[in-house]
Amino acid sequence: MERTRVWQAGELLAVQHLVKQGWTIVERNWRCSLGEVDIIAHTPEPDSVLVFCEVKCRSGLGFGDPLEAITWQKLRKLRQLALTWLGEQPQWVPRYRLDAIGVLLPRGGRPQVSHVQGVGE
Amino acid sequence: MSTARAYSVALVGVEGAIVEVEAAIGGGLPRMVIVGLADAALGEARERCRAAVHSQGLGWPAQLVTVNLSPATLPKAGSHFDLAIVTSVCAAAARFDPAVLNDMVLLGELGLDGRVRAVRGLLPALLAAVTAGFRTAVVPATQLREARLVEGLTVWGVGNLLDLVAVLTGVPPEQVMPPEPEAQAAAGEATTKNLIDVVGQLEAKWAVEVAAAGRHHLFLHGPPGVGKTLLAERLPGLLPDLDQSESMEVSAIHSLAGLPLHGGLIVRPPYADPHHSASLASVVGGGPRMALPGSISRAHRGVLFLDEAPEFPPRVLEALRVPLESGRVVLGRAMVHAVYPASFQLVLAANPCPCGNAGTRGADCRCAPMAVRRYAERISGPILDRVDIHHHLAPMSRTYLKAAQSSGETTQAVAGRVAAARARQRHRLVEHGWRTNGEVPGPALRRLLPLPQGVELLDEAVSCGRLSARGVDKVIRLSWTIADLAGAERPTRDHLHTALAMRRGEQLGEVVRDRA
Repeated sequence: MERTRVWQAGELLAVQHLVKQGWTIVERNWRCSLGEVDIIAHTPEPDSVLVFCEVKCRSGLGFGDPLEAITWQKLRKLRQLALTWLGEQPQWVPRYRLDAIGVLLPRGGRPQVSHVQGVGE
Repeated sequence: MSTARAYSVALVGVEGAIVEVEAAIGGGLPRMVIVGLADAALGEARERCRAAVHSQGLGWPAQLVTVNLSPATLPKAGSHFDLAIVTSVCAAAARFDPAVLNDMVLLGELGLDGRVRAVRGLLPALLAAVTAGFRTAVVPATQLREARLVEGLTVWGVGNLLDLVAVLTGVPPEQVMPPEPEAQAAAGEATTKNLIDVVGQLEAKWAVEVAAAGRHHLFLHGPPGVGKTLLAERLPGLLPDLDQSESMEVSAIHSLAGLPLHGGLIVRPPYADPHHSASLASVVGGGPRMALPGSISRAHRGVLFLDEAPEFPPRVLEALRVPLESGRVVLGRAMVHAVYPASFQLVLAANPCPCGNAGTRGADCRCAPMAVRRYAERISGPILDRVDIHHHLAPMSRTYLKAAQSSGETTQAVAGRVAAARARQRHRLVEHGWRTNGEVPGPALRRLLPLPQGVELLDEAVSCGRLSARGVDKVIRLSWTIADLAGAERPTRDHLHTALAMRRGEQLGEVVRDRA
């Protein structure tokens, strides 16, 4: 399906973007009864932080920037998911953060990745 | 994160305060936040600015846009910050060199299609900007005429967002003056309302003339149909043109009230005649958070006419007391105190009773004595005490038709005498900073100027309780105006006598016949 291809491609680009910056991917598309976290990753050492990423991908700007689609409801869901994931871990995680990544895949153009850090406040 | 700033003006009363509009881009998900005590209309700038920028294909930053209006503690109202907000955001997005914004104020409301709409209070805002040292202003193209009234500013009129971008990038658009308003409506009105239309009523015309010459408050009292309203409407025509500073004050208030100033500065004294159903806020000024000027401020340096004065709610009438004395009104709100000038000349008209015939010879009054009294009491003592001239108009006698045939004086003739009397007053009072007898404070009247001859008349009136202490000052002011109209150096005993009679609303038969 077209829609599925877009978001799969978008998430792949987002992961590549993070890996290129030295991040370590912990999980992708982690699911529970509440929903799904797109990417869970560690930022590079030192001061490594665990980051929960929401990825939003769009193929055009007709309905606005991909990041504009990340509403406060989605962020609230992301925070709940993050707490659920943390609860399932055997070890204690001292610091975590919520990020948003927007991926724009224009037809025939170069994809653009925009990464906003610390959107949870 | 990139930041930039642009400047606009917040209005508190007729005073303007420079507001720094800062924009920061970045640091969060795409949305726009406006901080700095913005009211509802200003908060909605968020949606207007974004839509306007999108409609012109300029591209709004897909990041967190924070707009801060500084000083942050000053409450800001109105839609005229739109241009400054858009400009600061575009500057933060590095669309042009932000150095041009350093001595520029921007005022204008944006439409969703990128049009720039007219705003209230442009004139006072620009005056404040000049005082604060700004040299350039960007205003709505439709208000170019109003903006050009302010000296010392380079003004750019912009019709839409693309014009604004052109100005900011140093390629100003062609300046098109809005069309001249069609044939001065105000001037036409002044000539149609001529004093010659009022038949007879010589005494009342004399009272109006004195009121015009000295800017005295006037109370016209009489049965229906004798010409109270006709006379009051003709008073503004007798007043001389406003001088430069008065004209600026009056125009600033009109601009604030949202009235267009296409014809240039207002030079004729304004005239306001609110209907008696008017609310307190509409008369003295008011409104939530930011108080707007009311009728008394719109009549600043002009005439406020309250026809059928007893029909006004007592609250409205009593609210006039303080402005009548101080010439200004202070509207207190939780966040700000707005001060509006309100130096108006009050003209009241009233019937003697509900049916209107009480005290009229030959007419039948059907009202109970208590009803007549209650009607008269609706205008309270303190208000009446502040009115200088009380005049009772009698119905026309059988000489009505004869009088109607003989032509009376024209507005122009009477205005000439008024102008001469005003010139005498200005000459005498200019060193103290007053223009007319009506505005000289009581102590100055008694110390700085010679007392009229025969002041024992006043002592007598005070001792038998027919004149209040304020009344004494009023009578002395009136006597000066009467002397000025007569061309006398100093009020004589006769002038004082006439003044006392006018103040107390006694018949002026002899006085007028002497003059005729």
